[in-house]
Amino acid sequence: MSALTDIYVDTVIEHLPEKSRDDIAAEIRATIDDMVEARLGDGGPSTDSQTVAEREVLEQLGDPVLLSREYTNSPQHLIGPTSYPLFIWSLRWVLPAVAVLSVLTNVIVHIATTPQVQLGALLGQTIGSTVTALLTAFAVITILIGLGDRNMDTGATEKLPGARSEPWSVDDLHRRDVRGSQIRAEAILNLVFIVLLALIPLIPTSLVYVGHLNNGETFIDPDLGAGWLLGYWGFLALMAVLEAIKLVRSSASAALLITGAILDVTIAVFLTIALLTQQVLHPDLTSTSGAEVQQIITVIAIWVLVVWDQVSTRRTYRARL
Amino acid sequence: MNEDEEQALATHEQELRRGTVVFASLVACRHPQYGYSLLATLTEAGIATEANTLYPLLRRLEKQGLLTAEWNTEQARPRKYYTVTAGGAEVAAALHTQWLGLNSSITTLWKEGTP
Repeated sequence: MSALTDIYVDTVIEHLPEKSRDDIAAEIRATIDDMVEARLGDGGPSTDSQTVAEREVLEQLGDPVLLSREYTNSPQHLIGPTSYPLFIWSLRWVLPAVAVLSVLTNVIVHIATTPQVQLGALLGQTIGSTVTALLTAFAVITILIGLGDRNMDTGATEKLPGARSEPWSVDDLHRRDVRGSQIRAEAILNLVFIVLLALIPLIPTSLVYVGHLNNGETFIDPDLGAGWLLGYWGFLALMAVLEAIKLVRSSASAALLITGAILDVTIAVFLTIALLTQQVLHPDLTSTSGAEVQQIITVIAIWVLVVWDQVSTRRTYRARL
Repeated sequence: MNEDEEQALATHEQELRRGTVVFASLVACRHPQYGYSLLATLTEAGIATEANTLYPLLRRLEKQGLLTAEWNTEQARPRKYYTVTAGGAEVAAALHTQWLGLNSSITTLWKEGTP
């Protein structure tokens, strides 16, 4: 056996566990000897033919690094199929939670520590910190699950969140009504959002640490006619009814979606008229010179939200068809 | 058959053989076999196998308890002999039943699909 075989065997066992190296090395050497012998036959081999046969055998065995990987049988990927459901489950739950926590924390800290709160600075700091937090969370989840993937046995994966604990059956189709769950979740979120919108005229500015600007009164002009407020709450009540119907039925018919779209546009028109015909925001929160600009920016923001909502609803509905 | 089809065929053949080699090794190891003798036995039986696939596979089957391994140092060249265990024999018998069933099914399917 030549130095070539020694190098080959050493390369194979180089990255194998210490305890199995000698055994595997001895087996590979015996195999190479057998294969060389079979090639040479019973006739007395010359040194040249021995060298050629050995080279051919090593060629046949192939790349020693690949052979070593076959022996270790260790995963050649970061997130394998056994950990993938856990990985997706973690991303689905952890990332939104991190995003919400980051936004809330940054908004509260910025408002509490900045004497003159400016929207641009607030948005810049919040978006920047949230993106960093999301990337960090993604990296931590990926590394932890990637490391866990290397020390996981099949029994352990069956107990993990996101992994199936029982074999699949047709009954799972009823239990996992994904479309219905999505519609219910969206309806609950929309109801929470509607309640928050309804509370806006009642929230004192001191609640978000800017009470010094108007002595802790609300964000809305106290002289605004009660009819406008009642109209606003009336429209929100209609929206809440539509969402409640979706929640109870766990489905959203085309008629319901069209009604919702018409209601959205109607509310936007109502708010546009309200904002462009009178003072809606508390006078102490708006500078006299820029009052009109602020009202127009608010109107534009409302219509951007309405258009975005229509587009996303249309996309979601088409995807569910 | 064009180049793409040949490549697809090679991939499918490899997948088909992968499971076959495990079954064939368990069957062949009903008599003690060392690595090269098993390779030769399988090749003679028409089940072409790469050495760099077979040796790690034997080790995995040993870890699973389907094969036992023992070094024989009495011969001029020390060799590691593999023999199927009782559990391995049961697995081989179950695989054999599956194999016969699949063979029968695919033969029927082939006849039905042949004009």
